[in-house]
Amino acid sequence: MLRLTDINKRLGEFSLSGISLDIPEGQYYVLLGRSGSGKTRLLELIAGLDKPDSGSIILDEKDITRTRIQERRIGIVFQDFAIFPHLTVSGNIAYPLRSRRIPEKEIEKQVNEVATRMNISHLLHRKAEKLSGGEQQRIALARTLVISPRLLLLDEPLSSLDASLCDEMKSLLRDLKRRGQTIIHVTHDYSEAITLADRVGVIHNGRIIQEGIVDDVFNKPANRFVARYAGMKNFFRIDVTRHENVVRGVTSNGIPMKIPQGNYNGNYIAVMKSRDISVSTERPSADSQNIYKGKVTEISRSESGMEMVISAGDIFHAEMTMQEFLHARVCENDEVWLSFSPGSLIILDSGHTE
Amino acid sequence: MRENSLFRWILLALSGMVLMFIIAPLAGMFFHTGAADFFSTASESEVQKSIWLTIWVAFAGTLFFSIGAIPLAWFLARKNFPGKSIVQGIIDLPVVLPHTAAGIALLGFISREGFLGKVASAAGLDLVNHPSGIALAMAFVSLPFLINSAREGFASVPERLEKAALNLGAGQARVFFTISLPLAWRSIVSGFVMMFARGMSEFGAVVIIAYHPMVAPVLIYERFGSFGLKYARPAAVLFIIVALAVFVTLRLIPSGRKEKKPVHDAEAY
Repeated sequence: MLRLTDINKRLGEFSLSGISLDIPEGQYYVLLGRSGSGKTRLLELIAGLDKPDSGSIILDEKDITRTRIQERRIGIVFQDFAIFPHLTVSGNIAYPLRSRRIPEKEIEKQVNEVATRMNISHLLHRKAEKLSGGEQQRIALARTLVISPRLLLLDEPLSSLDASLCDEMKSLLRDLKRRGQTIIHVTHDYSEAITLADRVGVIHNGRIIQEGIVDDVFNKPANRFVARYAGMKNFFRIDVTRHENVVRGVTSNGIPMKIPQGNYNGNYIAVMKSRDISVSTERPSADSQNIYKGKVTEISRSESGMEMVISAGDIFHAEMTMQEFLHARVCENDEVWLSFSPGSLIILDSGHTE
Repeated sequence: MRENSLFRWILLALSGMVLMFIIAPLAGMFFHTGAADFFSTASESEVQKSIWLTIWVAFAGTLFFSIGAIPLAWFLARKNFPGKSIVQGIIDLPVVLPHTAAGIALLGFISREGFLGKVASAAGLDLVNHPSGIALAMAFVSLPFLINSAREGFASVPERLEKAALNLGAGQARVFFTISLPLAWRSIVSGFVMMFARGMSEFGAVVIIAYHPMVAPVLIYERFGSFGLKYARPAAVLFIIVALAVFVTLRLIPSGRKEKKPVHDAEAY
């Protein structure tokens, strides 16, 4: 469907380097990267708003690297929606159809169809600039979908929506996915990737640093940057020494830590998900675990329950469900025991940290 | 608190002095013009013809040069090229030139010995002492007002909207006429009005190109030179009233459009 091969583009001090992607028909691909990582620039290259310095863009086996933007059949919805403020909602949606000189009757029919699908029929005669962010986004989406693009590019589609609109938009995007629409969605929020993506790529400083199916990327992050994107908050600099067959890890704060089996020797970064840490007021018995005594310094709500910060020589972030939290009866400043299995630690080469 | 209040009074006094500096001479001229003299001058065919000539020639010149000035403004707002600041400087040049010097420069270009003069002459048109020559003189000194205002208007249109239109299948021309131009419209109309008003009031460059047919500023000067202040005053008052009326009318066009916007439901806000 879409194949990018070794795309390079210099943009002043910044450059996109060696970007290669293969996205099959119907796939929902999420490109994750923080602001300034080059994700929007990459979308603009794919859409044809700019041309790469080298590399090729193949869509449906056809090289479109130098094809005019109007002939690419790639739709893009910008982060700020780029709604034409002087036109009505209907005028906005009809704009691409009028550009293609489609008869007015047919335009009216297609505008009504897509407006019904996007649930914005009641807004058709309103001036687009006066509508809310959520409504403007639906209009932008309708305006792009009305020409049935082969590929839909979404630039941070959920970033400016409040929680309820965000859920609505997610279900709309899932619906598009079910209908077989191929989508590239760029975002800085890993939770969007988890909830929507078939496949995810992480872009940093103009390079794709990891790519794969969602579980692989989030469970086996290639480096600390990806780990951060996977929502991991526990990071430890760890020095691993090997004496005959005994492997010993010590964090930079002098905390001994059992690490998973592997041929480690030297300095590493150990990362771990918050939910892999168990917290209790009584000492756990399992000897095979890493067990530490610490003090709860902060408790806050999280998406899936409660999150606590525990100081135990190093800083640990633990997460539990509300039920587990109520059962554990832990308060701020309490002394608690925390434990985790060595297998929950992901050991990263310290040379790969950002 | 007291310091703030004192500062406000000083600001008000200074602002008032500047406003009075503009208003006082005009008010004095109005008060010194008797109704009989005014209506007598207004009924003179020479004066009426002169004012009408001034209005239509300035309007025609502004309209004609808009055809090239508006695309140039878009180009300056959107494109970067080597020497762009030099081009911008050239555009602003007529504002800083003495207008009689501008008239002399233009005369060399449009007289029968000049390039444009020769071309026009071959077509049977003598630009000197002709309304078309007057229009050129007016446009020469007033074009920067239109170009700069339109350029600012185009620059204020988010480039993202033009990119979105291209992505939606529009060609460059359609993007220009359906997105850039309508969104920069207010600034363009404002620049158009300023160019037109500046053209109407031009004397220095016009008097070099054409003493006759007489535009209103030349007529006022001629009456002052030949008959003195008392005789020139009613013509000046009449021209100011007409120019103000035209100016205000043209200014109202864009704001009138704004008022006609449909009222939306409260939920939209």
